Amino acid sequence: MVRQSPGGGRVRRIVAGVATVAVLGPLAWLWQDSLMPEAYSVMDMGYADYGGGPHGPSGHETHAAGGASAHASAHAGAHAGAHGPGAGRDVTELIADAGRPADVSVTMVARKQPFRLPSGRAFDGFTLNGQSPGPVIKAAKGQLVQVRLINESVPGGITLHWHGVDVPNAEDGVAGVTQDAVGIGKEFTYRFVADRAGTFWYHSHQMSHEQVRGGLLGALVVEPGPGKGEVTDAVALVHLYNGVRTVNGLEGDVRVEAKPGARARVRVVNTEYGVMPAWVSGAPYRLVAVDGTEVNGPAPVTGKALAVAAGGRADIEVTMPENGSPVRIHLGGPTGVVLGSASYDAPPVSRPAATLDPLTYGTPARPAFDPGRPDRRFEYDMGRRPGFLDGVPGLWWTINGHLYPDVPMFHVTEGDVVRMRIANHSGEPHPMHLHGHHAVVLSRDGVPATGSPWWVDSLEVAAGESYEIAFVADNPGVWMDHCHNLPHASQGLVTHLVYEGVTTRFTVGGSAENEPE
Amino acid sequence: MRQVYKVLAYLIAIEVAVQASMVVWFDAGLGKWVGEGGVVDKSLVESGQAPFPEFMGVVIHGMNGMFVIPPLALLLLITSFWAKVPGAVKAAGLVLALVVLQVTFGLFGHDIPLVGAVHGINALLLFGSAIYAARRGAAVSGPVAVQPAAQG
Repeated sequence: MVRQSPGGGRVRRIVAGVATVAVLGPLAWLWQDSLMPEAYSVMDMGYADYGGGPHGPSGHETHAAGGASAHASAHAGAHAGAHGPGAGRDVTELIADAGRPADVSVTMVARKQPFRLPSGRAFDGFTLNGQSPGPVIKAAKGQLVQVRLINESVPGGITLHWHGVDVPNAEDGVAGVTQDAVGIGKEFTYRFVADRAGTFWYHSHQMSHEQVRGGLLGALVVEPGPGKGEVTDAVALVHLYNGVRTVNGLEGDVRVEAKPGARARVRVVNTEYGVMPAWVSGAPYRLVAVDGTEVNGPAPVTGKALAVAAGGRADIEVTMPENGSPVRIHLGGPTGVVLGSASYDAPPVSRPAATLDPLTYGTPARPAFDPGRPDRRFEYDMGRRPGFLDGVPGLWWTINGHLYPDVPMFHVTEGDVVRMRIANHSGEPHPMHLHGHHAVVLSRDGVPATGSPWWVDSLEVAAGESYEIAFVADNPGVWMDHCHNLPHASQGLVTHLVYEGVTTRFTVGGSAENEPE
Repeated sequence: MRQVYKVLAYLIAIEVAVQASMVVWFDAGLGKWVGEGGVVDKSLVESGQAPFPEFMGVVIHGMNGMFVIPPLALLLLITSFWAKVPGAVKAAGLVLALVVLQVTFGLFGHDIPLVGAVHGINALLLFGSAIYAARRGAAVSGPVAVQPAAQG
């Protein structure tokens, strides 16, 4: 018995060939289409989204295909001057008062080296002035801070981004957007007015997911001004080195002296890529500030943990018990700050099941602006789908259904009131960070905020959640708006907010090897 | 090509076994870590750094599941077009479909834990279908694969 005729073999081979091409052909096309040029300007990335507002004179055309737009920008990036006079101001012009002398002046030397953490543990990573975390920069509200950054030995270049400080755009420290990465032997000076009292931090925004991991970071504290020194004030910057949780580089308990009856403020900074719970035993606490903004009418809290977003800050205030007993502030676990005087014996307790909801915490106050009639409304809808990102197959994040770089570019005009709906359909939580602005939370999942105005620069958006936020476009520039789970940003969860009449001469890639994520 | 088809199908079955072993290895390590007073939270998980060695189990599970098994299933489908094994395309198509489902369940399981339970059951279906596909390849691997007609 013959199963197949001789002719059948040929037909079979043709069918097999056609089927193979049918499977591989689209994949090859998608792969090729996703390849990014060697250098591109974020100004030419993706498609313009005007949020229902007027279209600017710069005429950023709407693109359908991300690959195509990125390819086109290879040429635009090559002659960046083309964005010059006709397209408006370059980001480098957006600086603090150049004639004003600095009130706080710091020099930071960055190195790649093996070193010892304050805990004594050996670590091979990055240092600023020989240490990691870098030195705490302290300033009073209104002072001009000047930081001279020198790269002695960090390969690939570095920058410093002032996380949560609404600096002028040229000082934002994003490689490829507001400056070139500072290569070995080079330096860059940042100047900005610390116009808002609160807890902030700084970190590299060049290859940030590796450099932040490796310790190129530190805390920045802006104090409200003189005469408020009667409160014990401590920074608690939390970072994991080789998987070991540290507070200010120390392991275990960090002891801070606080007299009985005294008030103590602990400034918690979460430098990590995921949300961190914090809770207090030994006394009630008040959440007095979030992301560098004071909470209005913070009531004492017991039996509830706080959730500190990745990149976010939470200032916890405790009034020490009169009997002298210590208070433990748990940061993600037993590690944390122990406030005390006579005794520091405060055994850890487990995390309370309930979590404080900032949506209803504190007392309402008149908003600084009216978000009711916005000039622009944007959607920032996050998803996930299979595809290619610069030729690499994977399950990549999407923004409004598009893969990087074909993502929306949010266009605003200075003075606009902007509303943005951030929705997360990606199945994973994302801590969303908008540079250069603070936004107020209006609602979550359609439930309006009823507590203190909740101002954020780093907002944890859990899977399935949606937030409505609003802000005033009052800081011209080209601003990154991205997920602060930094590996996610390097996987394409990044877009930009751009002001009409502002452009950037810098490119991602290129001779400075800018790689902001 | 028939051999390639068979080997790929067995490889997928082996990979499913590796996946099961890695995730339970991680789970056991996690239990030990927590039992000894260790703490795991989102920031630790997202740091990508292993606080205990078995943490690598879940990292391998994720990499394997997203970057190794799907291309293997795709290659299996392509070789099935050429393998001259009866039912190979159907079997490979089934394997690929179950892989797509499995990755989807795996990711959605992060958000809806019950989907994770389905992920576990689907793994058994995938293992079974990969063995089924491999055995189809094995059954016709001899030079004579034709039944004698006389018995009819």
